[in-house]
Amino acid sequence: MPDEDFKTRLKIAKDKLKNFKKITNNNQNSSFIGGAFKLGTELVSAVLVGTIIGFILDTWFGTKPWLIIVFFFLGSAAGILNVIKAAKRMQEKN
Amino acid sequence: MTTNPMHQFTVHRIGPEIKIAGVDLSFTNASLFMLLSALTICGILFLGTREKKLVPDKLQLISEMIYNFIAKMISDTAGTKAKPYFPFIFSLFMFVLFCNMLGMLPYSFTVTSHIIVTLLMAIFIFIAVTIIGFLKHGFGYLKLFVPSGVPMVLLPLITIIEIISYLSRPVSLSVRLFANMMAGHTMLKVFGGFVISLGMLGGWLPLGFSVALTGLEILVAFLQAYVFAILTCIYLNDALNLHH
Repeated sequence: MPDEDFKTRLKIAKDKLKNFKKITNNNQNSSFIGGAFKLGTELVSAVLVGTIIGFILDTWFGTKPWLIIVFFFLGSAAGILNVIKAAKRMQEKN
Repeated sequence: MTTNPMHQFTVHRIGPEIKIAGVDLSFTNASLFMLLSALTICGILFLGTREKKLVPDKLQLISEMIYNFIAKMISDTAGTKAKPYFPFIFSLFMFVLFCNMLGMLPYSFTVTSHIIVTLLMAIFIFIAVTIIGFLKHGFGYLKLFVPSGVPMVLLPLITIIEIISYLSRPVSLSVRLFANMMAGHTMLKVFGGFVISLGMLGGWLPLGFSVALTGLEILVAFLQAYVFAILTCIYLNDALNLHH
């Protein structure tokens, strides 16, 4: 029967497509490695920038240890903010 | 043969020394590999688009695939408004990708493993995006630093934190690319050194690691170029479509 024949062929093709989708999903997983690399540097860079700003302001105003301490903590907060933003963006994509 | 894993990153001069107004402008191995990657990109794209066949050959297929890939990435992350910036993001992605990939060849030099290269690209993107933001929205672009729905008491603090977060963009963008490339190449060299020093008896294990790491490094080389380009798109999106 040609109809039966067509049905089995359709089934085989659909199975193949499913397998193909699985493979492409695996490929998407590899882009999560990129996401993981991203989160680490987001956190560290904000702390770095905050501390540098604190250091520069300290030398300007001559308030040596204080602003660097304040801006270190502000930088840490900015780093956490960065990570939250990046994580939200990653969730939106899925 | 040198076994120092950091030796591969030294920049040395090729040809005569050129000094203009006290600035050293000599042609180095870094310039050579930047030029090589630019020429490779141009070569592939020129040859790929030379004759526009209905059934593409390999080179044409590669160029069309890269074009589609970048076009989709831009429209997914930054929307249709970012269309005019396609050439910039395309060249940026291709340059970073080919610098990374040429660096994977033995005896070559990885341009992107130097922070000065990546930082310069990141700062250029940062300044360009900031200018685009101010051109499109005027002083309304400063709203990016003032999130809505924050109590007045916390507003100054949050604004400072947002500004630091904004300023940290070029740093994280450049450090990520540079650190990944440099760490990967150092690791490859260290494992290569183990193969030599352990000899025929114990050298097989680090050799296996080396092979696996080479595969990983090729993945990282592609991934970092992709991440660099996609983050540029995301920053562009913030500048073009201002919403919080």
